[in-house]
Amino acid sequence: MHESDLLSPHATKAIEYLLAVSYLLLFIPFWRFVNGASPAQAFSLGWFHVPDNVHLHRGHSWARTFGGAVAVGLDDFAHKLIGPVDAVELPAVGTALRQGQKAFTVVADGQPFDVVSPVDGNVVAVNEVTRARPSDAVRDPYGTGWLLKVEPRWLTANLKNLVSGDAARRFLDAAAEALSGRMSPELGVVLQDGGTPVNGIAREIDPAHWAELVRKALRAE
Amino acid sequence: MSEQALDREVTFSAFFREKVLLGMAPKTYAKSLLTKTNAIFAAILAIGLPTMAYRFWKGMGAVSHLSQTNPWGIWVAFDIVCGVALAAGGYTVAAAVYLFGQKQFRPVLRPAILTGFLGYAFVVVGLMVDLGQPWRLPYQFFLTPGTTAVMYEVGWCVFLYLMVLALEFLPAALEWMGATKVRRYMGTLTIGIIVLGVTLSTLHQSSLGAFFLMSPGKLHPLWYSPFLPIFFFVSSIAAGIGMVIFESTVSHRAFRDQLDPTAHVDMGALQLGLAKGGAVVLFAYFFIRLQGLAGSGRWDLLLTGWGAWYALEMLGFVLLPSFLFAFAVRTQSAALARAAGIMTVLGVVLNRFNVSLIAFNWNVPDRYIPALGEIVISITIVTLGVLVFRWIVNRMPVLHEHPEWRGVH
Repeated sequence: MHESDLLSPHATKAIEYLLAVSYLLLFIPFWRFVNGASPAQAFSLGWFHVPDNVHLHRGHSWARTFGGAVAVGLDDFAHKLIGPVDAVELPAVGTALRQGQKAFTVVADGQPFDVVSPVDGNVVAVNEVTRARPSDAVRDPYGTGWLLKVEPRWLTANLKNLVSGDAARRFLDAAAEALSGRMSPELGVVLQDGGTPVNGIAREIDPAHWAELVRKALRAE
Repeated sequence: MSEQALDREVTFSAFFREKVLLGMAPKTYAKSLLTKTNAIFAAILAIGLPTMAYRFWKGMGAVSHLSQTNPWGIWVAFDIVCGVALAAGGYTVAAAVYLFGQKQFRPVLRPAILTGFLGYAFVVVGLMVDLGQPWRLPYQFFLTPGTTAVMYEVGWCVFLYLMVLALEFLPAALEWMGATKVRRYMGTLTIGIIVLGVTLSTLHQSSLGAFFLMSPGKLHPLWYSPFLPIFFFVSSIAAGIGMVIFESTVSHRAFRDQLDPTAHVDMGALQLGLAKGGAVVLFAYFFIRLQGLAGSGRWDLLLTGWGAWYALEMLGFVLLPSFLFAFAVRTQSAALARAAGIMTVLGVVLNRFNVSLIAFNWNVPDRYIPALGEIVISITIVTLGVLVFRWIVNRMPVLHEHPEWRGVH
């Protein structure tokens, strides 16, 4: 009886210390687990840029609010994937556009590529400068390279389906990552050297089936 | 009427229409209130408000099952003890943004402070319902201060912190009213107010736990511990994080039109940032709770029915959400973080119910079961809170920044 009275506070203390030490020891793997984000997140090529105020559609068109209207264009990734553009076929002012359905067509090397609209609404203006000199748009795809201005119908709801900010950058990184797997080793070295990707990546990757590659990327799935 | 007075009247009615009626004509505004959700709210209030009035008129015996043996029921357990814990998002996010420099959480700061402010305001409403005779409220502060009572400390803390929360939220109201000068002046006080708020929260989140130190024989040994104040404080941080994740999710669905389409807040990334904090806090909290058990040495009780209930709380609502948060951060799954956030909130509610109700008076034959009136009044108080929250969010810059005050403290 005396013995257990004497021992019990020691036993309690021992358990308390044991708990404290186990906590500290277990915290190490726990913290490592929390911080070991998946490789897809750690991966960032940063080849393609997108400003914070631009919303991207999965089909690589973009939307930017512009007073009451929304400017629409083709994102940096799609421009660089397609390469020099010969012509853009823009819808007439007044045309009704639907999010995820064809908005305009880009022609490169004789191949037409349909691009989907990022928002619902009616076309209120088209960029005549870009229409006249379409290959210049790649220099400033989100600024002077805009293609249409749309009066949006369900902007708030539409924006829910678009990505912006870090999410947009992650989206472009993922698109770049998908491409990098298909690149020839030489091209990979050039691109991953920190330089900007060549204009017309699709043709560099697969000269025979480049148009299919572009259409797959622009498909809004 | 003079021309000046007429002018003033016209300006005022335009101001009222713009700010209060959301720019609608009174009739259109009244019509816009006729929705299904509002019908439910109206039904709750139609039953709840008279019940509340009846309680003040006839006394609490008329609507509750409270007795000398069980003087604390769900008004204390839910409206006060849970209410305070769930309002902890305000001080948690304020401390993260202003004291620890985690500026990325700014978009959730104002909603968290508003939730905290209304949470506390309605804790006081709950307290009034429980205590009765609201006009005697100043007695405990000024007329008959009981300086040695835990209640005295809690009363002061809630009173002061409610004022601090009002000051923390005031900038949003001032921006809404267009009171530029006062708003600018308030900006210079921000840090001081935030420090005061975090200090007061630390004090009274823990002193709510200290309440139960006064009744060691009444609380089941698995929940009773001299560390109760620490348990309450640490778990309030987890509750705050869980509530901010939950509230930001709900707000982003319910108040979609209030969001600034040009602001580009990546809510998923923010919630994952909060989830990381949640994972660590809950992990530590689990071990701190075990220390409490080690201190009492009553491991044998784990094999009883109460032990199973204790294990459910500890494993299912502390350790599991901690791991879910961790897994959410690792896999960058905001959806999982949201689920873990809800579990954390439920876990803290379960803990507060256990300490103040379920495992309290566990050994008396006359167990308390809440009366319908008590439940109705509790639901009414929550409904009033939600209605005020909605009224404010639809008008003031809470979920979006006021265009003229972008990025200002």
